Amino acid sequence: MEETIIPKTSTVLAALLKADFTTLWRNRRAVVMVFLVPIVILVSWKDLVAKMGAAFALSNSLTYGLIAIGLMGYTNSIARDRDKGIFQRLRVAPAPNWTIMMSRIFVQLSMIALVTTAIFVVGYDYDKITLTPTGYALTYLTAIVGGAVYLALGQVIVGLIKNPETVNSTSRLVYFTFVIVGMFGGMGMLGKQVEQMTQWSPYGTVKTIMAAGMVPGSWTMDTTNALLVTLGYTLVFAVIGIKNFKWNTK
Amino acid sequence: MDNNQSESILKVSDLCVQYGIFKAVKEVSFDVRKGEIFGLLGPNGAGKTSTLSAIEGLIEYQSGTVIVDGHNAKEKPLYARAAMGVQLQSTSFQPELKVSEILQLFAGIYGVKLTNEKLTAILKDISLEDAAGKRFGQLSGGQQQRVSLVISTIHNPRLVLLDEPTTGLDPQSRRQLWERIEAIRERGHAVVLTTHSMEEAESVCDRIGIIDHGKVITIDTPQALIEKHKNDPEVIAVSRKGRVTLEDVFIALTGKEVRA
Repeated sequence: MEETIIPKTSTVLAALLKADFTTLWRNRRAVVMVFLVPIVILVSWKDLVAKMGAAFALSNSLTYGLIAIGLMGYTNSIARDRDKGIFQRLRVAPAPNWTIMMSRIFVQLSMIALVTTAIFVVGYDYDKITLTPTGYALTYLTAIVGGAVYLALGQVIVGLIKNPETVNSTSRLVYFTFVIVGMFGGMGMLGKQVEQMTQWSPYGTVKTIMAAGMVPGSWTMDTTNALLVTLGYTLVFAVIGIKNFKWNTK
Repeated sequence: MDNNQSESILKVSDLCVQYGIFKAVKEVSFDVRKGEIFGLLGPNGAGKTSTLSAIEGLIEYQSGTVIVDGHNAKEKPLYARAAMGVQLQSTSFQPELKVSEILQLFAGIYGVKLTNEKLTAILKDISLEDAAGKRFGQLSGGQQQRVSLVISTIHNPRLVLLDEPTTGLDPQSRRQLWERIEAIRERGHAVVLTTHSMEEAESVCDRIGIIDHGKVITIDTPQALIEKHKNDPEVIAVSRKGRVTLEDVFIALTGKEVRA
Protein backbone atom coordinates (compact mmCIF):
# COMPACT_ATOMS: atom_id res chain seq x y z
CA MET A 1 0.00 0.00 0.00
CA GLU A 2 1.31 3.44 -0.93
CA GLU A 3 1.92 5.85 1.90
CA THR A 4 -0.61 8.68 2.21
CA ILE A 5 1.12 12.02 2.57
CA ILE A 6 -0.50 14.80 4.58
CA PRO A 7 0.54 18.25 3.40
CA LYS A 8 2.25 20.48 5.96
CA THR A 9 -0.12 22.87 7.76
CA SER A 10 2.14 25.76 6.75
CA THR A 11 1.80 24.78 3.06
CA VAL A 12 -1.98 24.57 3.37
CA LEU A 13 -2.16 27.93 5.16
CA ALA A 14 0.13 29.57 2.61
CA ALA A 15 -2.11 28.37 -0.26
CA LEU A 16 -5.27 29.56 1.50
CA LEU A 17 -3.74 32.93 2.39
CA LYS A 18 -2.58 33.51 -1.17
CA ALA A 19 -6.09 32.79 -2.49
CA ASP A 20 -7.79 34.90 0.19
CA PHE A 21 -5.50 37.89 -0.34
CA THR A 22 -6.03 37.61 -4.11
CA THR A 23 -9.79 37.60 -3.52
CA LEU A 24 -9.44 40.68 -1.32
CA TRP A 25 -7.37 42.45 -3.96
CA ARG A 26 -9.91 41.69 -6.68
CA ASN A 27 -12.60 43.18 -4.41
CA ARG A 28 -10.64 46.37 -3.90
CA ARG A 29 -13.59 48.60 -4.78
CA ALA A 30 -15.48 47.26 -1.76
CA VAL A 31 -12.30 47.57 0.31
CA VAL A 32 -12.07 51.27 -0.57
CA MET A 33 -15.44 51.79 1.14
CA VAL A 34 -14.06 50.31 4.35
CA PHE A 35 -11.27 52.90 4.24
CA LEU A 36 -13.47 55.75 3.10
CA VAL A 37 -15.93 55.93 6.00
CA PRO A 38 -13.40 56.42 8.85
CA ILE A 39 -11.29 58.77 6.71
CA VAL A 40 -14.30 60.93 5.83
CA ILE A 41 -15.26 61.07 9.52
CA LEU A 42 -11.71 62.02 10.53
CA VAL A 43 -11.51 64.75 7.92
CA SER A 44 -14.96 66.13 8.74
CA TRP A 45 -14.12 66.26 12.46
CA LYS A 46 -11.15 68.58 11.89
CA ASP A 47 -12.61 71.22 14.21
CA LEU A 48 -13.19 68.65 16.96
CA VAL A 49 -9.51 67.72 17.05
CA ALA A 50 -8.66 71.05 18.68
CA LYS A 51 -11.66 70.87 21.00
CA MET A 52 -11.76 67.18 22.05
CA GLY A 53 -8.18 66.11 21.30
CA ALA A 54 -6.49 64.05 18.61
CA ALA A 55 -7.03 60.77 20.44
CA PHE A 56 -10.80 61.38 20.43
CA ALA A 57 -10.97 61.93 16.67
CA LEU A 58 -8.56 59.13 15.77
CA SER A 59 -10.11 56.54 18.10
CA ASN A 60 -13.65 57.32 16.92
CA SER A 61 -12.88 57.15 13.22
CA LEU A 62 -10.74 54.04 13.68
CA THR A 63 -13.57 52.34 15.59
CA TYR A 64 -15.89 52.93 12.60
CA GLY A 65 -13.28 51.32 10.36
CA LEU A 66 -13.03 48.30 12.64
CA ILE A 67 -16.81 47.92 12.73
CA ALA A 68 -16.94 48.05 8.92
CA ILE A 69 -14.24 45.37 8.60
CA GLY A 70 -15.88 42.99 11.08
CA LEU A 71 -19.50 43.50 10.18
CA MET A 72 -19.37 44.22 6.47
CA GLY A 73 -16.18 42.63 5.11
CA TYR A 74 -15.74 39.47 7.13
CA THR A 75 -19.41 38.63 7.68
CA ASN A 76 -20.50 39.03 4.09
CA SER A 77 -17.54 37.15 2.63
CA ILE A 78 -18.17 34.19 4.95
CA ALA A 79 -21.93 34.20 4.20
CA ARG A 80 -21.36 34.33 0.43
CA ASP A 81 -18.71 31.60 0.32
CA ARG A 82 -20.76 29.35 2.57
CA ASP A 83 -23.81 29.80 0.36
CA LYS A 84 -21.81 29.04 -2.81
CA GLY A 85 -20.37 25.84 -1.33
CA ILE A 86 -16.80 27.15 -1.43
CA PHE A 87 -16.13 26.03 2.14
CA GLN A 88 -17.47 22.55 1.46
CA ARG A 89 -15.05 22.16 -1.45
CA LEU A 90 -12.17 23.20 0.80
CA ARG A 91 -13.32 20.92 3.61
CA VAL A 92 -13.17 17.76 1.50
CA ALA A 93 -9.46 18.48 0.99
CA PRO A 94 -6.96 17.72 3.76
CA ALA A 95 -7.21 21.28 5.09
CA PRO A 96 -8.15 21.37 8.78
CA ASN A 97 -11.25 23.52 9.36
CA TRP A 98 -9.32 25.92 11.55
CA THR A 99 -6.88 26.74 8.75
CA ILE A 100 -9.75 27.81 6.48
CA MET A 101 -11.03 30.24 9.13
CA MET A 102 -7.57 31.30 10.29
CA SER A 103 -6.72 32.39 6.77
CA ARG A 104 -9.91 34.48 6.54
CA ILE A 105 -9.29 36.07 9.94
CA PHE A 106 -5.65 36.81 9.12
CA VAL A 107 -6.77 38.69 5.98
CA GLN A 108 -9.15 40.78 8.12
CA LEU A 109 -6.44 41.45 10.72
CA SER A 110 -4.22 42.71 7.91
CA MET A 111 -7.06 44.98 6.85
CA ILE A 112 -7.23 46.31 10.42
CA ALA A 113 -3.51 47.10 10.32
CA LEU A 114 -3.93 48.82 6.93
CA VAL A 115 -6.93 50.89 8.04
CA THR A 116 -5.05 51.91 11.20
CA THR A 117 -2.08 52.98 9.09
CA ALA A 118 -4.36 54.90 6.69
CA ILE A 119 -5.95 56.74 9.62
CA PHE A 120 -2.51 57.67 10.99
CA VAL A 121 -1.40 58.93 7.57
CA VAL A 122 -4.57 60.97 6.97
CA GLY A 123 -4.53 62.23 10.58
CA TYR A 124 -0.98 63.50 10.11
CA ASP A 125 -1.48 64.82 6.62
CA TYR A 126 -4.73 66.62 7.30
CA ASP A 127 -4.66 67.51 10.99
CA LYS A 128 -0.92 67.17 11.74
CA ILE A 129 -1.75 64.56 14.40
CA THR A 130 1.30 62.73 15.69
CA LEU A 131 1.71 60.14 18.44
CA THR A 132 4.70 58.84 20.34
CA PRO A 133 6.29 55.59 19.05
CA THR A 134 4.70 53.78 22.04
CA GLY A 135 1.38 55.39 21.14
CA TYR A 136 1.59 54.08 17.57
CA ALA A 137 2.57 50.59 18.73
CA LEU A 138 -0.16 50.45 21.39
CA THR A 139 -2.76 51.70 18.91
CA TYR A 140 -1.94 48.87 16.49
CA LEU A 141 -2.28 46.45 19.39
CA THR A 142 -5.56 47.88 20.67
CA ALA A 143 -6.91 48.05 17.11
CA ILE A 144 -6.28 44.31 16.77
CA VAL A 145 -7.97 43.66 20.15
CA GLY A 146 -10.85 45.97 19.21
CA GLY A 147 -11.16 44.54 15.71
CA ALA A 148 -11.48 41.07 17.23
CA VAL A 149 -14.73 42.13 18.95
CA TYR A 150 -16.33 43.06 15.65
CA LEU A 151 -15.00 39.97 13.88
CA ALA A 152 -16.52 37.90 16.69
CA LEU A 153 -19.77 39.85 16.40
CA GLY A 154 -19.73 39.16 12.66
CA GLN A 155 -19.23 35.49 13.52
CA VAL A 156 -22.38 35.64 15.68
CA ILE A 157 -24.34 36.98 12.71
CA VAL A 158 -23.14 34.25 10.31
CA GLY A 159 -23.56 31.71 13.08
CA LEU A 160 -27.19 32.55 13.72
CA ILE A 161 -28.28 33.48 10.18
CA LYS A 162 -27.73 31.28 7.13
CA ASN A 163 -29.24 33.25 4.25
CA PRO A 164 -26.54 35.54 2.76
CA GLU A 165 -29.01 38.32 1.92
CA THR A 166 -30.32 38.32 5.48
CA VAL A 167 -26.74 38.30 6.78
CA ASN A 168 -25.98 41.30 4.56
CA SER A 169 -29.00 43.32 5.69
CA THR A 170 -28.51 42.39 9.36
CA SER A 171 -24.84 43.34 9.33
CA ARG A 172 -25.70 46.69 7.68
CA LEU A 173 -28.37 47.33 10.28
CA VAL A 174 -26.01 46.54 13.15
CA TYR A 175 -23.28 48.64 11.48
CA PHE A 176 -25.47 51.73 11.16
CA THR A 177 -26.80 51.24 14.70
CA PHE A 178 -23.22 51.27 15.96
CA VAL A 179 -22.33 54.31 13.88
CA ILE A 180 -25.39 56.37 14.87
CA VAL A 181 -25.60 55.38 18.53
CA GLY A 182 -21.82 55.55 18.86
CA MET A 183 -21.57 58.97 17.28
CA PHE A 184 -24.51 60.69 18.93
CA GLY A 185 -24.86 58.57 22.06
CA GLY A 186 -21.16 58.73 22.81
CA MET A 187 -21.25 62.52 22.75
CA GLY A 188 -24.22 62.62 25.11
CA MET A 189 -26.65 63.89 22.48
CA LEU A 190 -29.11 61.08 23.25
CA GLY A 191 -29.13 61.57 27.03
CA LYS A 192 -26.97 60.59 29.94
CA GLN A 193 -28.26 57.02 30.12
CA VAL A 194 -27.52 56.27 26.45
CA GLU A 195 -24.10 57.89 26.85
CA GLN A 196 -23.28 55.56 29.73
CA MET A 197 -24.60 52.53 27.85
CA THR A 198 -22.58 53.52 24.79
CA GLN A 199 -19.47 53.87 26.92
CA TRP A 200 -19.68 50.21 27.99
CA SER A 201 -20.98 48.89 24.67
CA PRO A 202 -18.54 47.17 22.25
CA TYR A 203 -18.30 50.55 20.50
CA GLY A 204 -17.45 52.47 23.67
CA THR A 205 -14.97 50.04 25.20
CA VAL A 206 -13.04 49.70 21.94
CA LYS A 207 -12.94 53.46 21.51
CA THR A 208 -11.76 53.87 25.12
CA ILE A 209 -8.86 51.42 24.85
CA MET A 210 -7.76 52.86 21.53
CA ALA A 211 -7.86 56.44 22.79
CA ALA A 212 -5.78 55.40 25.81
CA GLY A 213 -3.45 53.39 23.60
CA MET A 214 -2.71 56.52 21.57
CA VAL A 215 -1.75 58.45 24.69
CA PRO A 216 -0.32 55.75 26.98
CA GLY A 217 0.01 58.23 29.87
CA SER A 218 -3.78 58.57 30.00
CA TRP A 219 -4.33 54.84 30.71
CA THR A 220 -6.49 54.57 33.87
CA MET A 221 -8.33 51.90 35.82
CA ASP A 222 -11.38 52.62 33.64
CA THR A 223 -9.30 51.81 30.55
CA THR A 224 -8.22 48.50 32.07
CA ASN A 225 -11.87 47.73 32.82
CA ALA A 226 -12.77 48.66 29.23
CA LEU A 227 -10.04 46.30 27.99
CA LEU A 228 -11.39 43.46 30.16
CA VAL A 229 -14.96 44.12 28.99
CA THR A 230 -13.72 44.16 25.36
CA LEU A 231 -12.03 40.79 25.86
CA GLY A 232 -15.21 39.53 27.54
CA TYR A 233 -17.36 40.61 24.59
CA THR A 234 -14.94 38.93 22.18
CA LEU A 235 -15.02 35.68 24.13
CA VAL A 236 -18.82 35.59 24.45
CA PHE A 237 -19.41 36.54 20.78
CA ALA A 238 -16.79 34.05 19.56
CA VAL A 239 -18.27 31.19 21.58
CA ILE A 240 -21.83 31.93 20.37
CA GLY A 241 -20.66 32.47 16.79
CA ILE A 242 -18.46 29.38 16.55
CA LYS A 243 -20.91 27.12 18.39
CA ASN A 244 -23.78 28.00 16.05
CA PHE A 245 -21.74 28.17 12.84
CA LYS A 246 -22.61 25.72 10.06
CA TRP A 247 -20.33 25.18 7.09
CA ASN A 248 -23.22 24.91 4.67
CA THR A 249 -26.61 26.57 4.32
CA LYS A 250 -28.65 23.35 4.07
CA MET B 1 -11.72 -9.74 -11.54
CA ASP B 2 -7.93 -9.96 -11.41
CA ASN B 3 -5.71 -9.74 -8.34
CA ASN B 4 -5.00 -6.10 -9.05
CA GLN B 5 -8.66 -5.31 -8.43
CA SER B 6 -9.10 -7.37 -5.27
CA GLU B 7 -7.50 -4.73 -3.04
CA SER B 8 -10.21 -2.71 -1.32
CA ILE B 9 -9.63 1.07 -1.49
CA LEU B 10 -12.91 2.05 0.16
CA LYS B 11 -14.73 -0.04 2.72
CA VAL B 12 -18.02 1.22 4.13
CA SER B 13 -19.55 -0.91 6.88
CA ASP B 14 -22.94 -0.48 8.57
CA LEU B 15 -22.96 3.25 7.91
CA CYS B 16 -25.82 5.14 9.58
CA VAL B 17 -26.53 8.86 9.01
CA GLN B 18 -29.31 10.61 10.86
CA TYR B 19 -30.65 14.19 10.59
CA GLY B 20 -32.64 14.80 13.77
CA ILE B 21 -35.07 11.90 13.87
CA PHE B 22 -34.83 11.22 10.12
CA LYS B 23 -32.62 8.25 9.26
CA ALA B 24 -31.12 9.11 5.86
CA VAL B 25 -28.66 6.21 5.65
CA LYS B 26 -29.39 2.88 7.33
CA GLU B 27 -26.57 0.37 7.81
CA VAL B 28 -25.13 0.83 4.34
CA SER B 29 -22.20 -1.44 3.50
CA PHE B 30 -20.15 -1.77 0.34
CA ASP B 31 -16.58 -1.79 -0.78
CA VAL B 32 -14.80 -0.40 -3.81
CA ARG B 33 -11.72 -2.07 -5.19
CA LYS B 34 -8.60 -0.86 -6.90
CA GLY B 35 -9.15 -0.18 -10.60
CA GLU B 36 -12.92 -0.22 -10.27
CA ILE B 37 -15.66 2.27 -11.10
CA PHE B 38 -18.48 1.81 -8.63
CA GLY B 39 -21.81 3.52 -9.30
CA LEU B 40 -24.15 4.51 -6.52
CA LEU B 41 -27.66 4.76 -7.93
CA GLY B 42 -30.92 5.74 -6.32
CA PRO B 43 -33.94 8.01 -6.71
CA ASN B 44 -33.90 11.55 -5.29
CA GLY B 45 -33.58 11.49 -1.51
CA ALA B 46 -32.50 7.84 -1.46
CA GLY B 47 -29.38 8.60 0.58
CA LYS B 48 -26.68 8.70 -2.12
CA THR B 49 -25.35 12.16 -1.36
CA SER B 50 -25.62 11.57 2.41
CA THR B 51 -23.55 8.40 2.02
CA LEU B 52 -20.99 10.22 -0.10
CA SER B 53 -20.92 13.20 2.29
CA ALA B 54 -20.25 10.86 5.22
CA ILE B 55 -17.35 9.27 3.33
CA GLU B 56 -16.00 12.72 2.44
CA GLY B 57 -16.18 13.85 6.06
CA LEU B 58 -18.70 16.62 5.38
CA ILE B 59 -21.29 15.19 7.75
CA GLU B 60 -21.03 13.26 10.98
CA TYR B 61 -22.23 9.70 10.84
CA GLN B 62 -23.82 8.14 13.90
CA SER B 63 -22.41 4.64 13.52
CA GLY B 64 -20.52 2.39 11.17
CA THR B 65 -17.03 2.65 9.75
CA VAL B 66 -15.51 4.20 6.66
CA ILE B 67 -12.03 3.03 5.72
CA VAL B 68 -10.28 4.93 2.92
CA ASP B 69 -7.07 3.37 1.68
CA GLY B 70 -6.57 1.78 5.09
CA HIS B 71 -7.37 4.96 7.07
CA ASN B 72 -10.39 5.12 9.35
CA ALA B 73 -12.18 8.33 8.26
CA LYS B 74 -13.31 9.11 11.80
CA GLU B 75 -10.00 8.48 13.53
CA LYS B 76 -7.70 9.86 10.82
CA PRO B 77 -9.86 12.27 8.82
CA LEU B 78 -6.96 14.18 7.25
CA TYR B 79 -5.30 10.99 6.03
CA ALA B 80 -8.61 9.75 4.62
CA ARG B 81 -9.21 13.08 2.86
CA ALA B 82 -5.65 13.15 1.51
CA ALA B 83 -6.20 9.70 -0.01
CA MET B 84 -9.33 10.75 -1.85
CA GLY B 85 -10.25 13.27 -4.51
CA VAL B 86 -13.74 14.72 -4.49
CA GLN B 87 -15.98 16.40 -7.02
CA LEU B 88 -19.06 17.73 -5.28
CA GLN B 89 -22.51 17.95 -6.86
CA SER B 90 -22.37 21.72 -7.11
CA THR B 91 -18.76 22.75 -7.05
CA SER B 92 -17.96 26.39 -6.58
CA PHE B 93 -14.72 28.25 -6.22
CA GLN B 94 -14.05 31.85 -5.27
CA PRO B 95 -15.48 33.73 -8.27
CA GLU B 96 -12.65 36.27 -8.07
CA LEU B 97 -9.98 33.62 -8.72
CA LYS B 98 -8.72 32.65 -12.16
CA VAL B 99 -8.56 29.01 -13.27
CA SER B 100 -4.77 28.90 -12.82
CA GLU B 101 -5.10 30.38 -9.32
CA ILE B 102 -7.73 27.82 -8.35
CA LEU B 103 -5.45 25.02 -9.52
CA GLN B 104 -2.56 26.52 -7.54
CA LEU B 105 -4.75 26.84 -4.44
CA PHE B 106 -5.76 23.19 -4.47
CA ALA B 107 -2.30 22.00 -5.42
CA GLY B 108 -1.06 23.82 -2.31
CA ILE B 109 -3.77 22.36 -0.10
CA TYR B 110 -2.95 18.84 -1.32
CA GLY B 111 0.78 19.51 -0.98
CA VAL B 112 1.48 19.17 -4.70
CA LYS B 113 4.25 21.26 -6.20
CA LEU B 114 2.79 22.91 -9.28
CA THR B 115 5.34 24.47 -11.60
CA ASN B 116 4.25 26.68 -14.49
CA GLU B 117 5.15 23.89 -16.92
CA LYS B 118 3.02 21.40 -15.00
CA LEU B 119 0.15 23.87 -14.80
CA THR B 120 0.29 24.41 -18.56
CA ALA B 121 0.41 20.65 -19.15
CA ILE B 122 -2.66 20.12 -16.94
CA LEU B 123 -4.62 22.82 -18.74
CA LYS B 124 -3.54 21.44 -22.12
CA ASP B 125 -4.65 17.97 -21.08
CA ILE B 126 -8.17 19.24 -20.42
CA SER B 127 -8.10 21.44 -23.55
CA LEU B 128 -8.20 24.62 -21.52
CA GLU B 129 -4.75 26.04 -22.22
CA ASP B 130 -6.33 29.37 -23.23
CA ALA B 131 -8.50 29.53 -20.11
CA ALA B 132 -5.77 29.94 -17.47
CA GLY B 133 -6.58 33.62 -17.08
CA LYS B 134 -10.34 33.17 -17.09
CA ARG B 135 -12.46 33.12 -13.97
CA PHE B 136 -14.25 29.86 -13.16
CA GLY B 137 -17.67 31.46 -13.69
CA GLN B 138 -16.70 32.42 -17.24
CA LEU B 139 -16.27 28.77 -18.28
CA SER B 140 -18.99 26.65 -19.88
CA GLY B 141 -20.58 23.82 -17.90
CA GLY B 142 -18.39 21.21 -19.58
CA GLN B 143 -15.24 23.25 -19.01
CA GLN B 144 -16.15 23.75 -15.34
CA GLN B 145 -16.63 20.00 -14.92
CA ARG B 146 -13.23 19.34 -16.50
CA VAL B 147 -11.57 21.80 -14.14
CA SER B 148 -13.40 20.27 -11.15
CA LEU B 149 -12.34 16.78 -12.17
CA VAL B 150 -8.73 17.76 -12.68
CA ILE B 151 -8.70 19.43 -9.26
CA SER B 152 -10.13 16.31 -7.63
CA THR B 153 -7.28 14.25 -9.13
CA ILE B 154 -4.47 16.82 -8.86
CA HIS B 155 -2.82 14.85 -6.02
CA ASN B 156 -3.18 11.49 -7.77
CA PRO B 157 -5.58 10.06 -5.15
CA ARG B 158 -6.27 6.35 -4.78
CA LEU B 159 -10.00 7.02 -4.53
CA VAL B 160 -12.04 9.52 -6.52
CA LEU B 161 -15.60 10.41 -5.48
CA LEU B 162 -17.79 12.04 -8.11
CA ASP B 163 -21.26 13.24 -7.20
CA GLU B 164 -23.38 13.40 -10.36
CA PRO B 165 -20.43 14.54 -12.50
CA THR B 166 -22.25 14.66 -15.85
CA THR B 167 -25.46 16.42 -14.81
CA GLY B 168 -26.29 19.19 -17.26
CA LEU B 169 -23.63 18.29 -19.80
CA ASP B 170 -24.22 17.86 -23.53
CA PRO B 171 -23.57 14.38 -25.02
CA GLN B 172 -20.11 15.35 -26.30
CA SER B 173 -18.94 16.69 -22.96
CA ARG B 174 -20.48 13.71 -21.18
CA ARG B 175 -18.66 11.21 -23.40
CA GLN B 176 -15.42 13.10 -22.90
CA LEU B 177 -15.89 13.03 -19.13
CA TRP B 178 -16.58 9.29 -19.24
CA GLU B 179 -13.26 8.81 -21.01
CA ARG B 180 -11.53 10.82 -18.32
CA ILE B 181 -13.18 8.77 -15.59
CA GLU B 182 -12.15 5.57 -17.35
CA ALA B 183 -8.60 6.91 -17.61
CA ILE B 184 -8.58 7.27 -13.81
CA ARG B 185 -9.53 3.58 -13.57
CA GLU B 186 -6.79 2.65 -16.04
CA ARG B 187 -4.27 4.22 -13.68
CA GLY B 188 -5.41 1.72 -11.03
CA HIS B 189 -7.45 4.13 -8.95
CA ALA B 190 -10.91 3.47 -7.60
CA VAL B 191 -13.86 5.67 -8.56
CA VAL B 192 -17.24 6.05 -6.88
CA LEU B 193 -19.82 8.01 -8.79
CA THR B 194 -23.44 8.80 -8.22
CA THR B 195 -25.68 9.30 -11.19
CA HIS B 196 -29.28 9.40 -12.30
CA SER B 197 -28.29 8.27 -15.77
CA MET B 198 -28.75 4.53 -16.23
CA GLU B 199 -26.96 4.82 -19.57
CA GLU B 200 -23.97 6.24 -17.73
CA ALA B 201 -24.05 3.54 -15.07
CA GLU B 202 -24.29 0.80 -17.70
CA SER B 203 -21.54 2.28 -19.88
CA VAL B 204 -19.00 3.31 -17.28
CA CYS B 205 -19.51 1.39 -14.03
CA ASP B 206 -17.98 -1.99 -13.30
CA ARG B 207 -20.37 -2.55 -10.43
CA ILE B 208 -23.34 -0.63 -9.17
CA GLY B 209 -25.11 -0.39 -5.86
CA ILE B 210 -28.77 0.61 -5.85
CA ILE B 211 -29.75 2.50 -2.75
CA ASP B 212 -33.28 3.46 -1.70
CA HIS B 213 -34.81 4.75 1.53
CA GLY B 214 -31.29 4.82 2.97
CA LYS B 215 -30.63 1.12 2.37
CA VAL B 216 -28.60 -0.75 -0.21
CA ILE B 217 -31.03 -2.92 -2.15
CA THR B 218 -28.53 -4.68 -4.37
CA ILE B 219 -24.92 -4.60 -5.56
CA ASP B 220 -23.68 -6.25 -8.73
CA THR B 221 -22.38 -5.61 -12.23
CA PRO B 222 -24.92 -3.93 -14.53
CA GLN B 223 -25.13 -7.02 -16.74
CA ALA B 224 -25.56 -9.39 -13.80
CA LEU B 225 -28.36 -7.21 -12.42
CA ILE B 226 -30.18 -7.28 -15.75
CA GLU B 227 -29.69 -11.04 -16.02
CA LYS B 228 -30.87 -11.61 -12.46
CA HIS B 229 -34.05 -9.57 -12.79
CA LYS B 230 -34.98 -9.78 -16.49
CA ASN B 231 -37.76 -12.28 -15.86
CA ASP B 232 -39.24 -10.55 -12.81
CA PRO B 233 -42.87 -9.62 -13.55
CA GLU B 234 -42.28 -6.09 -12.18
CA VAL B 235 -39.36 -5.60 -14.55
CA ILE B 236 -41.26 -6.88 -17.58
CA ALA B 237 -44.20 -4.64 -16.64
CA VAL B 238 -42.06 -1.47 -16.75
CA SER B 239 -39.95 -2.50 -19.76
CA ARG B 240 -40.50 -0.14 -22.72
CA LYS B 241 -38.06 -1.10 -25.45
CA GLY B 242 -38.85 -4.75 -25.96
CA ARG B 243 -35.68 -5.68 -24.09
CA VAL B 244 -34.84 -5.29 -20.41
CA THR B 245 -32.52 -2.41 -19.59
CA LEU B 246 -30.81 -1.36 -16.38
CA GLU B 247 -33.37 1.43 -16.08
CA ASP B 248 -36.20 -1.13 -16.11
CA VAL B 249 -34.52 -3.06 -13.30
CA PHE B 250 -33.91 0.18 -11.39
CA ILE B 251 -37.55 1.31 -11.72
CA ALA B 252 -38.83 -2.11 -10.73
CA LEU B 253 -36.61 -2.23 -7.65
CA THR B 254 -37.20 1.33 -6.45
CA GLY B 255 -40.80 1.86 -7.55
CA LYS B 256 -42.48 4.04 -10.16
CA GLU B 257 -43.55 6.91 -7.94
CA VAL B 258 -41.79 10.24 -8.44
CA ARG B 259 -39.63 11.34 -5.47
CA ALA B 260 -39.32 14.88 -4.24
